[in-house]
Amino acid sequence: MGIWDTITDLVEAATPWSTVEAEAPSSNPAGAGPAKESASEVATETVDDSKSKDDSSEGKEEETEDEPEEEEEEEEEEELKDPKETLEEECRNSKQCAPAKHHFEECVERVENGSKEDCVEEFFHLTHCATQCAAPKLWSVLK
Amino acid sequence: MLARSCLRSTRAFAGARNGAINVSKRAASSSSGPNPEASPLRLNIAAAASTAVAVGSIAWYYHLYGPTAHAMTPAEEGLHPTQYPWVHQQFLKSFDHQALRRGFQVYREVCAACHSLSRVPYRALVGQVLTVDEAKALAEENEYDTEPNDQGDIEKRPGKLSDYMPAPYKNDEAARAANNGALPPDLSLIVKARHGGCNYIFSLLTGYPDEPPAGAHVQSGLNFNPYFPGTGIAMARVLFDELVEYEDGTPATTSQMAKDVTEFLNWAAEPEMDDRKRTGLKVLVVTSVLFALSVYVKRYKWAWLKSRKIAYDPPKAENQHHRL
Repeated sequence: MGIWDTITDLVEAATPWSTVEAEAPSSNPAGAGPAKESASEVATETVDDSKSKDDSSEGKEEETEDEPEEEEEEEEEEELKDPKETLEEECRNSKQCAPAKHHFEECVERVENGSKEDCVEEFFHLTHCATQCAAPKLWSVLK
Repeated sequence: MLARSCLRSTRAFAGARNGAINVSKRAASSSSGPNPEASPLRLNIAAAASTAVAVGSIAWYYHLYGPTAHAMTPAEEGLHPTQYPWVHQQFLKSFDHQALRRGFQVYREVCAACHSLSRVPYRALVGQVLTVDEAKALAEENEYDTEPNDQGDIEKRPGKLSDYMPAPYKNDEAARAANNGALPPDLSLIVKARHGGCNYIFSLLTGYPDEPPAGAHVQSGLNFNPYFPGTGIAMARVLFDELVEYEDGTPATTSQMAKDVTEFLNWAAEPEMDDRKRTGLKVLVVTSVLFALSVYVKRYKWAWLKSRKIAYDPPKAENQHHRL
C-alpha cells in the first residue's frame, strides 16, 4: 500500500535468495492443517528415535504427551470459533479501548435507568476502537 | 523604492531645517491643500468608517444566515469502516486466486440467492477463478434464450461461456417484492460503488452485533448494522461459521468467508487489476531505461562542450616594455 512496501517488494523480487510462494495444489483434500500435523509427527518421531537409543522410556512418554494435543486441535476444528469475534473481544477489554468501553457502559446504565437516548454513538466509538485494534491481528490469522 | 524613500527623508529633513521659509511659501502659493494641523482622528475617519461597515456587513450576514447546519448524526452517517491490510491492494501484489475461488464459492452458495452479478460472464472466470471445463459445466446449468428459429419461436438452450451470470430475479420490481421492498443491489461493481470499498463490504458482512446497542431504534423488518448509513439494513446477517464447506479445507469462519467474498467482489469490479499492475511496472521499467539512456546521450552530446579548455596566454611583460 505504501511506497515502502513497494520498495521492499522490489528488493525481495531482485534478490536471488528470496523465496517464491506459489502454492501448489495440495493433493491432500483435507487441507494444510492435517498435513502440518503429520509433518510435526514425523519430526517428533525422528527426534524420539535418536533419543530412544539412549533412553527408550523417555521417548514413549513424549509420544503419549503428543497425542492429547492432537485431540484438542481436532476439537477446536469441530467448534470453529470466528477469530474476529475473539480478537475484538480481547481488544474491547484491553487498556486501549477502556475509555470507550467505560462511556458505552455508562450510557447503557443511563438508558436502563430510564434515560431517553440511544448509545449508538458510544457503540460506534467502542466498535471502531475494537476493530482497529483487531484488524492486523485478524489478517495474520486469516488465509 | 528605497531610493525614493531616501529622497523623501532628505526632503523632510530639509523642511525641518528651514521650516519658516517653507510655511511662508505655502501660504503664498495655495490655500486648497489639506490642513497639516488636523487631528489624527479626522484623518483616519474614512478608514474607521469603512472598517466598521465591513465588520457590520459580515455580522449582518451571519445574523441573517448563521452557521451551516450539519443535520447529520453519526448514526445517519454510519460507522466508517476500519482500514484492513488487504494484500491485493498493495502496489505490486496480485489477487490471491485461491481466495477468489473460495470467494466465488461463497457468492454462488450464499449471495447469489438474492444478488445478481450481471456484468460478469462465465468466460471472465476462466483462468482466473475456474478452469475452462468447470466454467462450461457451470454455464450449462442455466438456460438461456436462443435466436428465433424458422417459425419465429424463441427456444431455450444451455448456457455457453459467453453468457452472463443469471440474475436471481426477473427485474427490480420482482426483487423488491421478494425482499420486503428492499432491492438487493447488483454486486458486479459494488466494491467501486461504495465508500470504503473492500473495507466497507467486509465490515458490513461481519459487523452485525448480537443485539443493537441500548436505546437504538430499529424499524421492523430491518436489522441493526453500524456500518450501514442509518444503521437499519434490510439484509439480515447471512454469513455464519461453517456455512459453506471450502474445497481446499480452509476453516470457513465468518470472517474468512467475508474476506474471500470481498476479494472476489473486488476482482469482479476490477478484473483488470493484475494486468494493470504488471503494465504499471513495465512502464516504470521502460521509463527508467529510457531515462538512463537519455543521461548517457546527453553526456555524449555535451562531451565536446564540457571537455573544452579555454586558455588565455597573457602577452609577455618584456614585449610590453619594448613597445613602450
